[in-house]
Order: sequence, then C-alpha cells, then structure tokens
Amino acid sequence: MAPGLRMKALITGVVLTTFPFLAAQTKTSKPVSQWATPAVVERGKSLFGQNCSFCHGREGFGGETGPNLMDSDLVTSDVRGNKIGPVVRNGRPENGMPAFKLPPQQIIELAAFLHAQKKKSESHPGGRRGVSVSDLQTGNVEAGKQYFNGAGACSSCHSPTGDLAGVARRYRGLELEKRMLYPKNATATVAVTLPSGQTVSGKLSYQDEFTIGLTDESGWYQSWPANSIKYAISAPAEAHVELLGKYTDDDVHNLMAYLQTLR
Amino acid sequence: MRTLNHFHKALFLIVFTLTFLPSGRLLAQGLDPATIANPPADSWPTYHGDYSGKRHSPLTQITPQNVSSLTLAWAFQTGQEATLKSSPLLVNGILYFTVPDNVWAVDARSGHRLWRYTYPPNKGQHIGHRGVAMYKGWLYFTTPDAHLISLDAQNGKVRWNIQIADNEKGYWSTMSPLVVRDHVLVGVGGDLDNIPGFLKSIDPESGKTQWQWFVTPPAGTPNATSGGMTWMTGTYDPELNLVYWGTGNPTPVLTGKTRPGDNLYTCSIVALNPDTGKLAWAFQVSPHDTHDWDAVETPVLVDADFGGQPRKMLMQTSRNGYFFVLDRTNGKNLLTVPYGPVNWSLGVDKQGRPIPNPGKEPAPDGRLIAPDEGGLTNYRSPSFDPKTGLFIVSAHPSWSIYFAKPADGTYGWAGADYDVWSRGVIEAIDYQTGKIRWSHEVGKDIFAGVLTTDSGLTFTGDIAGNVLALDTSDGKTLWHAGTGARMDTSPITYELDKRQYVVTGNGGVIFAWALPESVQ
Repeated sequence: MAPGLRMKALITGVVLTTFPFLAAQTKTSKPVSQWATPAVVERGKSLFGQNCSFCHGREGFGGETGPNLMDSDLVTSDVRGNKIGPVVRNGRPENGMPAFKLPPQQIIELAAFLHAQKKKSESHPGGRRGVSVSDLQTGNVEAGKQYFNGAGACSSCHSPTGDLAGVARRYRGLELEKRMLYPKNATATVAVTLPSGQTVSGKLSYQDEFTIGLTDESGWYQSWPANSIKYAISAPAEAHVELLGKYTDDDVHNLMAYLQTLR
Repeated sequence: MRTLNHFHKALFLIVFTLTFLPSGRLLAQGLDPATIANPPADSWPTYHGDYSGKRHSPLTQITPQNVSSLTLAWAFQTGQEATLKSSPLLVNGILYFTVPDNVWAVDARSGHRLWRYTYPPNKGQHIGHRGVAMYKGWLYFTTPDAHLISLDAQNGKVRWNIQIADNEKGYWSTMSPLVVRDHVLVGVGGDLDNIPGFLKSIDPESGKTQWQWFVTPPAGTPNATSGGMTWMTGTYDPELNLVYWGTGNPTPVLTGKTRPGDNLYTCSIVALNPDTGKLAWAFQVSPHDTHDWDAVETPVLVDADFGGQPRKMLMQTSRNGYFFVLDRTNGKNLLTVPYGPVNWSLGVDKQGRPIPNPGKEPAPDGRLIAPDEGGLTNYRSPSFDPKTGLFIVSAHPSWSIYFAKPADGTYGWAGADYDVWSRGVIEAIDYQTGKIRWSHEVGKDIFAGVLTTDSGLTFTGDIAGNVLALDTSDGKTLWHAGTGARMDTSPITYELDKRQYVVTGNGGVIFAWALPESVQ
C-alpha cells in the first residue's frame, strides 16, 4: 500500500471510530457497491477465513459456537464497518468472542465480505441457514399455559399481565426462546455486611473467588476482598437453571407458543 | 616432543572432562527421543510432559504448606494479539512455545528471548496453536495452512517445509506433533468441509511420509461419513508399542442423514502401531455423533488397580460428557459414567458405549441438550494424581439448543447450536467409580487445563484471569494471582538450578511462578 493510501485508511478509521455519525452520513452518498469492490471483498474473505470462520463458518452462516451473521441486525445496519468494527476490535467477552485488533482497512474489507455474503444469501433464500421465527412455531399454546402455571411453576415469579406483558413485542424468535430458557444478562443484587456491621447493597458488578464488587445507588463501584465481608447474592434468574434438566423439548416449544401470545 | 604434545593434549582432555562434564551442561545435544518416556526434572520434552498424558509432575519443592509464598520469577510478553494456547517444551534450559505462525525460544531461567520464527502470511485457519515437538536438535511446527516445518532449535532457521494436507480442500493444523522414536506423528483439523481426517507419520530427518492412517473413507464415498479430525496430541505406551489417539466428530457435523450407522472411526479412541500405522483396536465414545463432540481429549495412560486387579488403563473425560476407563491392552471398557449434566443418550450399551437418543438429534424447531457444542470438556488437559487416584478435569456443565433443517444442507456444519447456560468447574473424579470427590467453580466458563504435582497441588486458572493453586485432596484454594487475562493454556512445571517453576500462559504473556529464593 502506498504511504498516502495507508494514511487515508488510517484517517478513515479514526474518523469512523471517533465520529460514527460521519460514517452514517456516507450511507446515502456511497452505496456498498462503490467501496466493496470485488478485490476488497476477496481480501475480506481471506481475513474472515483466517480469523472468523472457525466460529462463524466459512460463509458467515454460523459455525462452532459463533452465531449466523447473515441474519444479524449488526451486519444489516453496518456501513463500511462502522458497526462491525467496534465489535471485532473489542470482542464480546461476555459471549466468549475475543478481540481482533485489525487495522481500519481490514475492518472495511471484513465488512465488505459480510455485506457481499449477505446479499448472496438473500438472493438464494432456500439455502439460507439460521433459525427463523417460523421454525419456532411447533408448540401448543394451551399446553404451554398449563406448564407455565403448573409443572414449570413459572407463575411463582412471573405474570402474563405483569413483567411478561407484551414480552412477545419486545423479543421474538430465537432471542425470546433463549431469554426464556436463561436470561443471561439478568441483574443480580448483593447485600454486603462489613466487619463494622455497616451494610452496603447494590447491583452485583463483579464476582470471582476473591473479590466482590457492586455498583451502589449513586452509581459508584465499590469492592471488597470476599473473605473480609459477609455477603448475600440475590439472583432470582438462577431458578431457570433448575428447569433446564427438567424440560422436555415439547415443554420448551409449548412454552414458546404461550409466550408468543403475550403481545 | 611430539609424544609429549600428544600427552599434553590427552591430559588437557582429561582435566577438561573432569572439570566440565559433571555439570552436564556443555554437551547439550538436543533431545534424545528415548528420554520422553522418563523425562528428567529439568525438562518438559513433549506437549503432555511425558508419554502418559497424566500431566502430573514428581516435583515437590512447591508444597501445600509453602505455596502461599509463590511469586513471579519472570514474565515474557509475546506482544501478539493472539492468545497463547500452547504448552511450552523445555529442553536444555530453553522453552519453546507458539501462537499461530510464531515460535519463540526463551531462556527458561530468565525469560529472555533467544529467537523468534515467523511463518509467512497464509490463508489458513488461525484459531489457535498447541506448540512444537522436538527430536534431537530439530523442532516440528504445524501451520494454519497444514504444513509441517522443521526448524533448527539453535536458531529457528527452517530446515524443511512439507505439506501435511491441502489447505484448499479445508485442512489446517494447530496441533503439537508427537515424537515416538524416529516418527513425528501429525494430525489435522477441518470441520468446515466433508473431508476425511487422518494421522500421518513423518520421518524426522527427511520429512518423508512413513505412513498415513485414515479415520474415515475418502471424500464422496456414498452413505459414508467424512470427518474424524486428529487435532490433539495423543499418548504412547512404549511397552505395548501403541500410540493412543482421539478422533474428531463426523461431517456433516450436525446432521447424520447422509451418514447412517456408527460412522467409524469418528469420535473414537484408537490404538495404532507407530511403526506401521496399523490399527490395533478402537473404542467409539460417541457412535453416530450429531453434536460436534470430538473425542480428541487426552487419552490418559494409568497403571493402577481397578476393581482389585492391576491394570494398564486408558482414561478419557470425553467432550460428550462421559468419563471412560478402558483396558489399553485391548480397548475393552471398564467404566462409562457421566461427569456432569448429559441428556442425549438412552443409556450405555454392553460394550460401554453411550447409545445416542435419536430424539436428541438437532431438529428444525430445536433440541435442548447438555452439554453444548463445546462439550463437558475439550482440548484443556486433565491431570491424573496417582496418590489420591483423582482424575482432575476442567469441566464445562452446559445447555444449548441444537438446530438443523433441510435448508442447512449436508455439507460442513449443516446446522447450528445456540448456547443457553454454562459454568466452569474443576472436578476431581474417583477413577474407580466415576464419583466426583470435589468440585471447584471457576466462573461462567472455563479455558484453563490442569497440572498436578506429587506434593499434592493442583494448578489451573479461573475465568477472571487468576492462576490458582488448589489442594489436590479437597480442591480448596491455597494461592492465587491475578494476571489480567484468561488462561487458555494447561500449566507445566520443571526444576532448574534446584528451583521449581510453574509456567502458565495467560492472554499473550508467559508467566513463570516460583518460590522466592529465600524460601527454597
């Protein structure tokens, strides 16, 4: 790459990272076909093969542990890597995705490949992989309602007219099913009793064997050595784990059918 | 005068020999493969440390009593973004370790770099790298595009570069080869395509193929499976002259429609003659797998009593959730027990193999299954502690929804799984019963392997980046240190200059831990 081009790529990267709104402006001025030239897409394909294909599959349809990127909202809303870039560069440690410190030009190449793949997959809908909302409609609403109020004991914590009112409008398809089975990012709270007897409560923000951290009401983070305090964690969502070993697949599908009526 | 000169020369030689030889340091010759079976304390000459795969060290300087003083001896920064997943080799005071496309030689006493080798940019799979193998003065390094490079261990210069398999067809290699006498055994990865797995024996000097053993029939064979990748290092019994290797899952991965039957020899533990590549026996841990549960986890070789009888055993905590004990002379099963949540089988057959439940094959509307695709354990090394009889494994109890529909086709993955819940737990299994004696939670997931030592210590790591020393008898934490990055490696240990080191790779940094010199 000529020095001038490298500088241009760097500046573009800095601008995109620092001023995402500028990237959005290019949406109307520069269609994908103009920046995602076949050569750029080809380089992106190679990068994707080396770094991403193990988890997301060679075509981005999903592989070992990594989701299908072809039905990803992030890819849909991305312009020249402005959405894909931050995820690639920072990773998603909470989902097990490592960070890839790729330079700006390579982010653009990756994005170009994903957009080209997406276009390709949409023009061949029969071959498209992933889980669609229509795949998850095999359950029975009435049986799901019975499970909710009976064997599953869901109603001991949840209410269709309370916390779950309109849940099917907020989440759909696989996202709803995954949340139903285990809400990964549910908030846990912790009540800490210090040696002095003073108590501090808040959102559980960090926990390992040695340190407990919380965010208090005023928004400050505080932590203590776990062995220097007494603490009680309240994580009601953990009740979902008990059910994982009890569900039949029919229970799951029926419960899904019932939840989808809560619109 | 001439005679005198000769006399002087001879005298000098004698004095020289007496003065310098006892240190054993001047005549460093590389690695004699015969020492891999019984490695000296100042070496870690192969991926698992020895041929048994026990990852158990006889060293006892660091004890449950003094481990609280364990401290940093040195750290080595690779400066690379890639996470270390390799086990270093230690030979003649030099550590050799890798990330994809890179090998480092580092002084094991000080952590300073001697040389670095970088493989040219290539389109291969850069998912991880497990480390090098050594034979005499040569290192053997597998590459993302499925080549094997022989390097001069003195300086990292390339001696030869051969192709193990065709990267264009979908093969790659991340594994650390196993050296058995004059054989370098290499395996491959490649789940994105319907291609057969194999194990290859390479001549350490010439790079020529000695034999190749295919796990599955050639690509395109009707009604037959492909797959069975060989991406982890096996073990070896010198007395029986058998190598033991775990094979990977069949392909297509998540649908079994096009590959009826058991799909031999995928998801199996196989015993091969290293001189001929001839199969002695095979035990399939997952017949007709449809969940990506490679059986490549370390086949650990243990000689001990089982049911009151002395046995030559092979043990594996398999990715499919079952702990297996086999008689390694003939592959007969002694024990099959799950070591965490498992809901995909209808029980165990007469041969000790789990019976897959067809109702738990991936389906268009999803099947809720334990464990997830990553399995109840994976490449992370377990360890066997002979004193307590505990098989200690880095376990990953988990649930996931598995999908496969006709639109997913019958090539490569052919479906997907979406994880629901998981935990990371170090579990100590009683090898005679499969009962879990203790378990130690390490967070929501787990990536670190396990090392045990004869003093009763278990070294591993948690998900937050802490290196942990546990009491092997009860799993209680005795020491920890935060490193700022997750441990994706399995620890090793060695003794140099009467100082015991424990080495871990966290993120892109190698840490060497030891007792302060005043405590030793």
